[in-house]
Amino acid sequence: MSDDISKRCCLANESEPTVTRSTVPMWIIVVTLVLLFFGGLYFDSHGDWGNQKLYKPFTSAEQLETFQPKSGAAAVMAQGRASYETVCGICHGSDGMGKPGQAPALAGSEWVTTKGVNRLAHIPLAGISGPLQVKGQNWNLAMAAMGAALPDENLAAALTYIRSSWGNQAGEVTADEVRNIRAAIGNSPPMLSREQLLALPE
Amino acid sequence: MKNGIAIVFAAVVALGASWCGLVLAPTLQLGGAKLTTVLNSPDTYPLQRTGEASLGLQIYRANGCAACHTEQVRQDGIQAELMLTALGNYQPEDFKAFTESLFVQQALEPVTNALAINLKGWNGSLPFVFLTTSDKEIADKINQSINVPGVKSELRIVATGADLARGWGPRRSVAADYLYDQPVQLGRLRAGPDLANIGVRQPDANWQLLHLYAPKAVVPNSTMPSFKYLFAVRKIGAALAPEALKLNAEFAPAAGYEVVPTAAAKELVAYLLSLRANVPLYEAPFTPVTTKP
Amino acid sequence: MNPNENTFVACGSSKIDASLRVPLLALFGGAAVWLIVGLVLGLIAGIKFHAPEFLSTIPMLTYGRVAPAANDAVLYGFCIPAGLGVMLWVLARLSQMPLVLPMVPVVAANLWNIGVLIGTGGILIGESTGHPWLEYPRAAAVILFAAFLLIAVSAAGTFGWRRERALYPSHWFLFAALLWFPWIYSTASLLLNTVWLPRGVVQPVIGWWFANNLVFVWLALVGIGTAFYFLPKISGKPLAGSGYALFAFLTLVFFGAWCGIPASAPVPAWLPTASAFAALLTIIPILAIAIITIKTVFGSGVSCQGGPFCFIKFGVVCFVLSGLMYVASACPQSSRVLEFTWFGFAQTQLQLLGFFALIIFGAAYEILPKIMGGALPFPKLAKLHFFLTAGGVLLFVIPLAIAGVEQGKALMNPAIAFADANGVTLKFLRISTTGQLLILLGALLFALNIFVMTMKWQLALVKSLIAAVKAPLPEATAQRDQEVKV
Repeated sequence: MSDDISKRCCLANESEPTVTRSTVPMWIIVVTLVLLFFGGLYFDSHGDWGNQKLYKPFTSAEQLETFQPKSGAAAVMAQGRASYETVCGICHGSDGMGKPGQAPALAGSEWVTTKGVNRLAHIPLAGISGPLQVKGQNWNLAMAAMGAALPDENLAAALTYIRSSWGNQAGEVTADEVRNIRAAIGNSPPMLSREQLLALPE
Repeated sequence: MKNGIAIVFAAVVALGASWCGLVLAPTLQLGGAKLTTVLNSPDTYPLQRTGEASLGLQIYRANGCAACHTEQVRQDGIQAELMLTALGNYQPEDFKAFTESLFVQQALEPVTNALAINLKGWNGSLPFVFLTTSDKEIADKINQSINVPGVKSELRIVATGADLARGWGPRRSVAADYLYDQPVQLGRLRAGPDLANIGVRQPDANWQLLHLYAPKAVVPNSTMPSFKYLFAVRKIGAALAPEALKLNAEFAPAAGYEVVPTAAAKELVAYLLSLRANVPLYEAPFTPVTTKP
Repeated sequence: MNPNENTFVACGSSKIDASLRVPLLALFGGAAVWLIVGLVLGLIAGIKFHAPEFLSTIPMLTYGRVAPAANDAVLYGFCIPAGLGVMLWVLARLSQMPLVLPMVPVVAANLWNIGVLIGTGGILIGESTGHPWLEYPRAAAVILFAAFLLIAVSAAGTFGWRRERALYPSHWFLFAALLWFPWIYSTASLLLNTVWLPRGVVQPVIGWWFANNLVFVWLALVGIGTAFYFLPKISGKPLAGSGYALFAFLTLVFFGAWCGIPASAPVPAWLPTASAFAALLTIIPILAIAIITIKTVFGSGVSCQGGPFCFIKFGVVCFVLSGLMYVASACPQSSRVLEFTWFGFAQTQLQLLGFFALIIFGAAYEILPKIMGGALPFPKLAKLHFFLTAGGVLLFVIPLAIAGVEQGKALMNPAIAFADANGVTLKFLRISTTGQLLILLGALLFALNIFVMTMKWQLALVKSLIAAVKAPLPEATAQRDQEVKV
C-alpha cells in the first residue's frame, strides 16, 4: 500500500479511547479486605463448612443435634415403632396381628396388656419356648431372646409401643425397668417356659 | 500481551472456582442422594410418585406453573415448647405457683425474658403449651424439674416462620423433598401460594379440578387464570358423567353440556396431591402432632 | 496508543467499519425484532395480572408460558446477539483490524435467530425445560451454542491479528465474556437439558449458577466493557484509572460468579451462605464501576441531549442500581422480605432493559452511522427513544420494586391472608404495565431506524448493481474505440 493512500485514510481515522495509567487505589483494597473479613466470619458461623445435613436456620451441627426430638411421648412411640418394626415386626407383623405358625398376635394379647411390665419384659430378654395360650389359641413354638441385643431405651420404647398400639391400652415401660430386669436375669439366661413365666410377678 | 494472558488466566480461574464450588461440589454432595428415613421412624422418604403424578409434573412444567407458585417453604427459627398434658391431682393454680417458684429457685429469672411463659391467661384446659423457648437446654431443665407424680409435660420441637404460620408446612423444605422431581420446579415468585404441601392442605381432587377450571368458583378473589383448556366441554350423554365437574350456575356450561377433565388435568391434580413434604427429617426436625392411640 | 503505529495503520476506521456493516446489520436487525417480540409477550403477561382471563383459553398464551418466553426473547433474542454485535465492533476498532471472516458472524446471526425462534416456539407449545433462563428446548440450545462459537471465532481472530498491540480495559471484559458464555451454557445445557438430569436440588443449584453467570455476570461484562469504550470516547477524556478498572474486573469475575443461590434455597446452608458472602463482596466492583464512570464523565463538558451518551450514562446508573438490588436480595436479612416477590423480577428487568439494553441502544446509535457511512434516518426518533425507554424503565421497575417490598412485608405477617398480601401488588403492577408500553414504543423506534437504514443501504446496493450492469464494460469500450479507429 502506498504512503499516499495510508495518509489519506488515516486522516479519517478516529482516535480510540485511552486509559489513564494508575495503580489499584489502597482504600478499595482495604474495603475489600474488611468485607472479606466480615463475610468470612459470616460464612464460618453459618455455613458449617459444607455439612450436608445443616440447613438454615440452624447454624451448627451441635445445635441441630440438640433440637432432635428425643423425649416426649410421641418421640418414644416413634422410636418404639422403629425398634419394633426392625426386630419384632418381621414375625409379629407391623399390624401386631402375628403370623399363623410363626408368632402369636400382640394386639389384644393378655401377655402384653398385663398390669405390670415385669412378666412381659422377661419374654424378649430371656426368650420363651413350649406350649403357650394366647387369646384362647394354642401355640407351641420357641422365641429366642430377640430383645436382648436392643439397648434398654429402645426395648422399653418398643414395649411401650406394643402396649399402646392396635387398641392395646396399657401403661408405658421405662428404660429403668428394663435395666433392672436385665441385671436380675444376667447374661444369656435360659429360655423360659409358660409355667416359669406365670410364676413371675406381673 | 503478557497482560492479556494474565487476564484470561484470571477469568478462567474465577469461573473455574465458581464452577467447582457451585456445580461440581453440589453434584458430588447432593447428586448421589438416596432415600432418607423419617425421623424416629423406619419409614423411608420421599415416596416414589405414581405414574400419573409423574406425568402431572410434566404438565406443571409445560404450563409454567412455577412462574407464579413456589414449591419451597422457609423457616425462620426452631423452638422447644413444653406442653402440659396431665395435672394429676393438682389444680391449675398449684401448677402456676409451683412453676413460678421453680423459676426463682432455678435462678431462671434473668433468662425468663428469653422464654415466653404463657401461664397468665390459662384457664386450666389441657393440653396447654406453657413455655416456648429457643433455648432447648432451659426447656429440658424445666421439663425435668416439674417431674412430680401425676404432672406430665411433653417437650415438643416446633419449627417457626411466617410460611409455616400460614399453614404451608410443618417445617422448611430440604433437598430430600425433591429427590424424584425431574425437573425440580422450585419457583421464584409467589403470585400464588406455595404448593410444597398442597397435597396435605387440600387433598380433595374435586376441589383441585374445580380450582383449575374456574379458580373464582372456589377462591372468589383469586388472580389465577383458568385452565379451561385442560378440560373438555361436551354434550351430556345418557347421564351426567361421574367425573363431570359440579359447577354452580355462574361457571356452569350451557344446559345439556358437561365439563369433564382431560387426562392432563387429572395428571396435574395427581401431581399436586403428591406434594406432601410434611414428615420430620434429621435435617429439619420437629415433633409431629400425633393422636395418641 | 503509539502515534507512530497509528500512522502506519493502513486505512483505519472506515475500512474497519465497512467490514462490520453486514454482520452488524444482521445481528442488530434480528435483535430489534426479538426485542419487540419479547416486549409484546411481556405486555401480554403483564395484562394477565389485571385481567386473569385475558387470552386464558389459548394454551400457548397462558401466563406460565408467555412470561418465560418474554424473558428469554429479550435475553437470548435481543441482549446476547446485540451485545455480540457491539462487541465485534469494539474489538475490531480496538485491534485496528477489519473483522476477520466477516461472513461467519452473518451466518451465525441467522443461525442464532433460528435458535431463538425454535426456543420461543418451544416454550409456547409447552416444550420448556422448566429451568429459569434455560427454558429453550434442546434443539434451540444446540443451535445457539454453535452460533455463539462462530461469532467467538471471528472475534478471537480479529483480536489475534490485531495491529494495535496494547490492551485496553474493554478487552478484559469482552474477552472474559467470550469465555464465560460457552462455559456456562455448555455446563448448564449438558446437565439440565439432556436426558441425564442430576438428582433433586442439584438441578436448581446449577440453574442458579447459570442464571447468575449469564444475567448478572455476562451482561455486566459485555455492558460495562462497552460502556468503558464509549464513555471516554464520547466524553473526550481518558478512562479514569486502569487500577480501578482492573480491580473492578477482577472482583466482578471472582465474586460475581459465586452469587445466585437464594438465601432460603432448600440446599445445605453452606451454599446460600457462600453466595451471600460473594454478594457482599460484589459491592466492590459495583462501587468501582460507579467511580470510574463518574470520574470519566464529569467535567467533560459534553452534553448528551438524548443521544448515545445519555443512553450509556443512564445504562451505567441502572447497572449500579440493579447491582445494589441484587446484593440486597442476597443479603440474609433483606432477602427474608424480598424473596419470592416482584422485587427479584424488577431487578432482572432493570438489568436487562435498564442497564444492558440502554447501553446497547447507545452503542448502536453510535456505531450505525459509522458502519453505514451516513447519519441515522430519524435522529429525532432516536432521541425520543431515549426518553421513552428511560422513562419506561423507571415506570416499569420502580413500582415493581416497591410492590415487591410491600408484598414481602405482608407475606412476613401471617395474620394477613395470602390473597390480601398479594392484593397490595396489583396497583403497582398496573403502573408498571404503562412502563412496559413505553419501552415497547421506544423499541419500535429503534427498529424503525435500523430497518430504514438497512433498506436504504440495500436500495443503494441494488442501484449501484444495476448501474454497474448497465454501464458498458471498459474493455468493450476500448475495443469499440479501436474498431472506430480502424
